[in-house]
Amino acid sequence: MKVTFVAWFRKNVSVVSSLAATVLIILVFQAMNPAFLSYNGLRALIYAMSYFLIVACGLTFVIMMGSFDFSVVSLLKLSALFCVVFMDRYGLLVIPLAISLTTAFGFLNGLLVAKFHVPSFMATLGVSIVVEGIVLYFSKGKLFLTYNEAFRALAIKEIFGLPAIFYWAMGIWVLSVFLALYTPFGRKTYAVGSNLVAAELSGVNIVFHRTLVFTLSGLYAGVAGVLYMAQLGGGSVQLGSDLSVPLFASIVAGGTALTGGVGGPHRTLLGVIIITWTQTGLQMMAIGRDIQMVIFGIVAIILAAATVDRKKIRMVK
Amino acid sequence: MASEKIPLLELKGVNKTFNGVVRALIDVNICLYPGEILGIVGENGAGKSTLMKILAGVLPPDSGEMYFFGTKVPFPRNPREAASRGIALVPQEKGVIPHLKVYQFLMLGNEDCFSSFGRLKIGEMRKTAEKILSELNIECDTNTYMYELPLPVQKLVEIAKAILTIRVRCKDTRITPVVILDEPTAPLAVEHRKHLFEFMTKAKEHTSFVFVSHIIPEILGFADRIYVLRDGRVVVSHNLREEKLSEEDIFREIVGRSSSEFLKRRESVTRETPWRVLLSVRNLSKRGSYYNVSFDLHEGECLGLFGTAGSGKAEIIKTLAGIMDFDEGEIVFDGRPLKKGEPPYARLKRGIGYFSGETGKELFLNWSIARNLSILNLEKVIGLGGVILNSKKEEEIAEKVMKTLKIKAPSPRAECYSLSGGNKQKVSVGKWMERKPRLLLLEDPTIGIDVGAREDIYEALLEMKKNGISMVLVSDDPKEYVLLCDRILYIKGGRIEKTVTPEELEKILREE
Amino acid sequence: MRVFLRIFRENFVIFVLLALLVLFSIIYPQKFWSPVNISAIFRQFLRLSLFALGPTMVVTTGSMDLTYVGIWMLGGVLTWYLHPKLGSLAILVYPLLGLATGLLTGLVQVKAKIPSFILTLSVTVSYWGLTAWLSGGYPRMVRGYRFITTSLSPYVPTALVLAIPIMAAAIFIMKGTKVGTYLYAIGSNEEGAELSGIDTRKYKVLAFTLSGLFTGVGLIILFPLLGGAAPTELRLGNLVEPLIAIVLGGTPLVGGSGGPEKTLLGALTFAVIQRGLGLAFLRPELVNLLLGFIVLGAIFVGTRKLKGMIVT
Repeated sequence: MKVTFVAWFRKNVSVVSSLAATVLIILVFQAMNPAFLSYNGLRALIYAMSYFLIVACGLTFVIMMGSFDFSVVSLLKLSALFCVVFMDRYGLLVIPLAISLTTAFGFLNGLLVAKFHVPSFMATLGVSIVVEGIVLYFSKGKLFLTYNEAFRALAIKEIFGLPAIFYWAMGIWVLSVFLALYTPFGRKTYAVGSNLVAAELSGVNIVFHRTLVFTLSGLYAGVAGVLYMAQLGGGSVQLGSDLSVPLFASIVAGGTALTGGVGGPHRTLLGVIIITWTQTGLQMMAIGRDIQMVIFGIVAIILAAATVDRKKIRMVK
Repeated sequence: MASEKIPLLELKGVNKTFNGVVRALIDVNICLYPGEILGIVGENGAGKSTLMKILAGVLPPDSGEMYFFGTKVPFPRNPREAASRGIALVPQEKGVIPHLKVYQFLMLGNEDCFSSFGRLKIGEMRKTAEKILSELNIECDTNTYMYELPLPVQKLVEIAKAILTIRVRCKDTRITPVVILDEPTAPLAVEHRKHLFEFMTKAKEHTSFVFVSHIIPEILGFADRIYVLRDGRVVVSHNLREEKLSEEDIFREIVGRSSSEFLKRRESVTRETPWRVLLSVRNLSKRGSYYNVSFDLHEGECLGLFGTAGSGKAEIIKTLAGIMDFDEGEIVFDGRPLKKGEPPYARLKRGIGYFSGETGKELFLNWSIARNLSILNLEKVIGLGGVILNSKKEEEIAEKVMKTLKIKAPSPRAECYSLSGGNKQKVSVGKWMERKPRLLLLEDPTIGIDVGAREDIYEALLEMKKNGISMVLVSDDPKEYVLLCDRILYIKGGRIEKTVTPEELEKILREE
Repeated sequence: MRVFLRIFRENFVIFVLLALLVLFSIIYPQKFWSPVNISAIFRQFLRLSLFALGPTMVVTTGSMDLTYVGIWMLGGVLTWYLHPKLGSLAILVYPLLGLATGLLTGLVQVKAKIPSFILTLSVTVSYWGLTAWLSGGYPRMVRGYRFITTSLSPYVPTALVLAIPIMAAAIFIMKGTKVGTYLYAIGSNEEGAELSGIDTRKYKVLAFTLSGLFTGVGLIILFPLLGGAAPTELRLGNLVEPLIAIVLGGTPLVGGSGGPEKTLLGALTFAVIQRGLGLAFLRPELVNLLLGFIVLGAIFVGTRKLKGMIVT
C-alpha cells in the first residue's frame, strides 16, 4: 500500500507539485489580501488568466514538440492592434482578418522550422521582428481605442456573473485538451516531441505536422489577441511586451518540459493559474510589474531546470 | 614464448555494472605485450567498448586490478592520465572534430606544450604535426580542415593523434605506446581497410594496438592474439601465431553455439503459383556508398543483403526506407516507381515499413506499450466519429500482441522505459506485426538482445513472412540470413557480387 | 576554381559588403561618403560589434547568449546609482556585472542543463525588471564620460581607438590560444572534444564568462556612446541586431566555425545596410519594417547550413 503510494507520487510528482503550488498561492494571497477571492477579485483573476490561457494552449503544442515559438506575443499584439486600428474601416470583419493574418505568420514559422530547418527560436524571433515592424507601421506608436459595443461584448459581456472571455478561454482549453489527448493529431504531436526519428519512421509526416502545429499556435495567438482587445478596449505597441517570460514560465510550471514529449494543454491550465494569479495577487498588493519580471525570470529558470528531461539530452546547447 | 615476457599491461578481475542492473563486464582478465596487435572480438553488447573505455580512463570499473610491467597501479581516472601511462583510445565514432585544422586536431588537449604565456606557437605546432605525419607515412596537408579529408585519412590522423598524445604525456621512454582502436573499420569502405591494416602492421614495431571488432575476417588477417568476449566474460583467448583457426571456429565462440543449430529450424517455403515481383530495383547508385544495384523482390520472399559492415548494405536498405536518397537508378514498388527524396511516411503509406533494431529509432520510451503499438496503427484505434482514439481498443491490441510475442510486462499501460532490452525489441516488432506492411525492411532486427528474446523475434518474423509479407534483411549476424532469408545478395565494396542461397552462404562462411 | 568558390563561400559577407558599398555610392553619390554618414556608420558598427563580440564566443560553442541587453540595462542603472559615490569609477560596474552574469549563467547552463536561449532570455528579463525597479521606470542619464565619445583628432573617434584593443583581444583569444581552439572544438563536436580529454563543461562556463566580460568591457565605451543612459524597456531590436551581426558575418548557430573577425565584418555590413536605408527618405516605421524583413532573410540564409540535423 505504502509502496504504491510512493510510486504513484513519483509518477505524478509534477501534477502534485503544480496543484500544491496553486493551493499555496491562493492561501498566501488570500491571507495577505482578503479581497483576493472576493467577487471582484475573482473577476480580476479571470480577466488576467483568460487570454493568457488561450495563447498558452497554442504555445503548449509547440513546446510539446520540443520546439519554441517566440513570436506568439508579437502575434497577439498584431491581432489585438489590427482589430482596434481597423475597426472603424472594416467593422467586425477585422476579427477574421486579424486571425487569418496571425495564422499566416504561424504558417510561415512552421515553414521556416519544418521545411527549411531553421532552429525554431531563431525563426520565430525573426518572424516576430517582422511582425513588430508591421504593428509599428500601421499603429505608428499611437494609442487606439475602440467603442464598438458588439466587439467589446465578446469579452466583457457577463454570462452567469462571469465575463464572456472566461467561457471562450475554457472552451478553447477543453478543445485543446481533447485535441492533445484523444485525437491522432495530439498523439502525433507527442510523438514528434518524444522521439523525432521514431515519429518519422512511424509514418508521421513530420514536415506537415510541425508546420501544422506552428500554424495552430499562430491561430491561437490571433484569437487571444482579438479577445484581449475586446477585454481592454484599446492599446498601443507597448501591449503585452512583457508577456513572453511569464507565458513560458506558465507552461513549464504546468509540467510541459522544454525537451518535449510530456505535459500538454491539460497541464497548462494549472500553470497559467499559478503564474497569472501570482501576477494579479502581487498587483493587488501594489507590487509593480518590474519586481514581477524579476520574479518570473528567476521562476522560469528554476522551472525549466526542474522539468528538463536530462536522460533525453546529453548535450545541451 | 609470449608467456615468458612481462606483459606491458594486465587487467585482472574487472567488473562493471550499469545502472545497478546490466552487468557489462564480469571478472575479465586480459594482458597485452609490447609490439603486438591484440584483437578483441565479440557480438554487439558483449562488453568490448566498455572494456576499452575502462582501459582508456573514460569509465571507471566497479572492481578490478591493473598491472603495469608487473606492478599494480590504480586505473586511470581520465583520458589524460591514461595517456601519461602510454594508453590512448581512438573512439569508434565521434572522435574527429570536423571544423579543426589537422594540426589543431593533432594537438587537441595538449596545447600547453606548444604555447608561451597563453599564446599558441602555431609554427611549432604545424612543424610537429608534419613531423609525426611524415614519420607515420600519412599524406595530408596540416592546414586543411578535418572534414575535408577522406574518411580513411581521418582515421589515420586519429591514430597519429593518439600516438602523439602518448608521446607528449608519457615521459617514460621505455614504454611502448598502446593505441586502442574501437571498431576502426566501421566507417571505412572495404577498399580502404587494407590500407589501415598495412599501416598498423608497419607501426607495430614501435606501438602496440588493441583492435576491437566484430568483423572476424579482419581480425584473422593480422592480429597476433585475440580474446573472445561473450556476455561480458572472456570466453577464450587464442594465439593466432601458433593456432590455425577458421572463421567458423571463432564465430562459434562468439555466439556461443554453432550456427548449424539454427539451420534445422528453417522451414522451407514452397509455392505452387509463381511469385509476383513486388519490388524491382534497377541500377541504383549512390556515390560513395553503392553502385549499380539491381534486384527483384517477390511477394512473400525474404531477401538478404549480405556483406561486411561498410559494404553499402545499410545504405541500400535506408534508401529503400526513404531515410537516404539515391543518385541514380530506379525503384519500382508494386508497379509504380518510388520517387527520389520521398520521406519515410510516404513510403509507409504505400506499404513499405522500416524496422530497425535500434530501439531509439523505433520506440517512444516514455510511452506505454499500448501507445507505442498504436502509433503505427492509428486508424485501427480510431473510434467515435473517426477522430477520437479509443483507448480500450488500444489496450486490446496491446494485450493480443503481448500474448503472441510473450512480452513480459505488468500491463499494456506499462512504460517502455521499464522494460528489458529484449522486451523493448519485441514491442517494436509487435508494432509492425500489427501494421502488416506489404514490405518490411529489417536492419539489425536483433541487435544487442539476449538469445531467448531473439528466438521469439525470429519466430514472429517467420510468421509474418508466412502471412505474405515480403522482407529485406540487413544484419551483422550471418546466422540471421541463414535463418530468415530465401535468397541472399552478396555485396562487396558497394556492388552485388553474386546471389546465393542460405545453404551456400553457410558453406561460404565455413570455408572462408 | 574550387579554391575560388571556397574562398567566395567562406567570405561571402565581404562580397556583400563591397556590393552594398558600391550600390549605396551610386544611389547617394554625395551623402553616403559624407563625414556625418561615415561617423554614423562607425557608431552603429561599434554598437553592433561590441555587443556581438562576446556572444560570438558562446555561439562558436553552439550555445546562445542573450544576456548582453540585460547587462546593458542593469549596468546602466547601477552606474547611475553608484556615480555619486564612486565618481568616474562607477562605470567599472559594467565589467564586474558582465563577468558575474557570464559566470553565473554558464554555471547554471552547464549544471542544470537548461537550453541557453531560454536561460539567457530569462536572465535578461530579470535584469530588465531590476532595472525598471531601481530606476523607477525612467532612463537615468549619467554624465561625465564624455572623454570617451570625443575625438582625438577630427578624423579619429576615440571610441573606435578604444574599441580596437577589445576587438583584437577577442580575435586573439579565439585564434591564438588554446581556449579558442577548445571552444571551436566544443561547437564542432562536443563528444569528440570530451574524448580528447577536454573538460568541456569548464570551457563552456568559460565561454559564457568571457562573453559576459567582453560585453561588460565593451559597454564602458558603448554606454556613453549610446547617450549615457541605458533603456528601461526591453526592445526586441536591441536583442536581435547583434545576433544578426553574428549570423550575417558567418558564424553558424550550430557552432564550430566563424569567429570574432567574421562578426566584425557582419556588424559593419549590417551597419551599412541600416545607414543606407536610413538615408532614403522613408518613414521611420517603414525603414524599421524593411530592416525586419532583412533580419528574417539573414536568419533564413545564415541558418540554412543547419540542414540535415535535427533542429528543435
